[in-house]
Amino acid sequence: MAALNLSSSLHSPSSLRRFPNFHPSRSTPTISFYSLPKPSIPFPSTSLVQKTALISRRLNVVVSAVKNLSETELVPVSSENEFPSDSGVYAIYNDSDDLQFIGITRNLAASVLTHKKSVPELCFSVKVGVVEEPDKTALTEAWKSWMQEHIAASGKVPPGNEPGNTTWVKKAAPRKKPDLRLTPGSHVQLTVPLEDLIDRLVKENKVVAFIKGSRSAPLCGFSQRVVGILESQGVEYESVDVLDEEYNYGLRETLKKYSNWPTFPQVFVNGDLLGGCDILTSMHENGELAGLFKQ
Amino acid sequence: MAVTKEQVESTLNSKLNPSHLDVSDTSGGCGASYCVEIVSEQFEGKRLLERHRMVNTALAEEMKQIHALSITKALTPQQWALQNPPPPNPQSPPAAA
Repeated sequence: MAALNLSSSLHSPSSLRRFPNFHPSRSTPTISFYSLPKPSIPFPSTSLVQKTALISRRLNVVVSAVKNLSETELVPVSSENEFPSDSGVYAIYNDSDDLQFIGITRNLAASVLTHKKSVPELCFSVKVGVVEEPDKTALTEAWKSWMQEHIAASGKVPPGNEPGNTTWVKKAAPRKKPDLRLTPGSHVQLTVPLEDLIDRLVKENKVVAFIKGSRSAPLCGFSQRVVGILESQGVEYESVDVLDEEYNYGLRETLKKYSNWPTFPQVFVNGDLLGGCDILTSMHENGELAGLFKQ
Repeated sequence: MAVTKEQVESTLNSKLNPSHLDVSDTSGGCGASYCVEIVSEQFEGKRLLERHRMVNTALAEEMKQIHALSITKALTPQQWALQNPPPPNPQSPPAAA
């Protein structure tokens, strides 16, 4: 049974506070030390106690499957050492044996390899702990127990686990802007004609694309191409989903009349209709578009 | 009733007097989808959007039956010449070397 030395970590709340996702009360396998005659004993606060105790008791079984961080062997990351392709928790060390990052994964071998490739300078050796019956909770608990142990021992969160440090997490695609909505919802009676809303929108924004579907998942090939062209130009643009019947009700018909253009997508620049997919494609290919957006 | 490629061509020829016109049926035979390349003097000084509008307007009748019209090129003769340099004439003397 893994002896989880949580008592000391609970005495250093300052280091815990630096770690935002860290809930000592929820993850406290310490409870087992008290063999649970009445789960409320170790806890000063009462509101969550009952639930907490139940969770912890169940998790104790799982956590015990993973060795303590300090007991786990540190293995150099090299081609000779093969890591298991199981789910589990892992800790990465640099060449001075300083802990850099603790992570969980569905495939230890693959994750270690990925880290080795992306940050070879910091990924020198690694400790891995296979989690049996790896559901998400069990993995998270294993991760928490290693984190707690490290924090308790060093008083620090591993640098790679500091909030805002993205060295070890795959760089997610930059978040796309949300699509604009013209109305507060179809249930709300507009006090201004929809045409005026369109007019204001296209005049207040340099580039507006009226597309079918959202900018992150356009629902028509032409809209998709337009979004692709705008993104490849690196231009800031707003998008409006003309298929959104809830927030853009009636937009398609009104916009066709407003722009006197029969189809979608429609791209407006500085308040004027630039064109649809064909026009954007032509202007993209002959370089006119780049010139236009540079202004 | 489907629109034929010939109909599209003759309408565009009469209304826009193109110096080059290439209409291709992209519908797979049902005549509901066309791709147009058109070069006309009338496009001179007009923005691409206006050129497309001219083509759409010219084909207003046909558009009622055409489901999709893609205008891949709407150029002035000058632009067309720039994009498609005439083949070198073998009879003419070579340019000064």
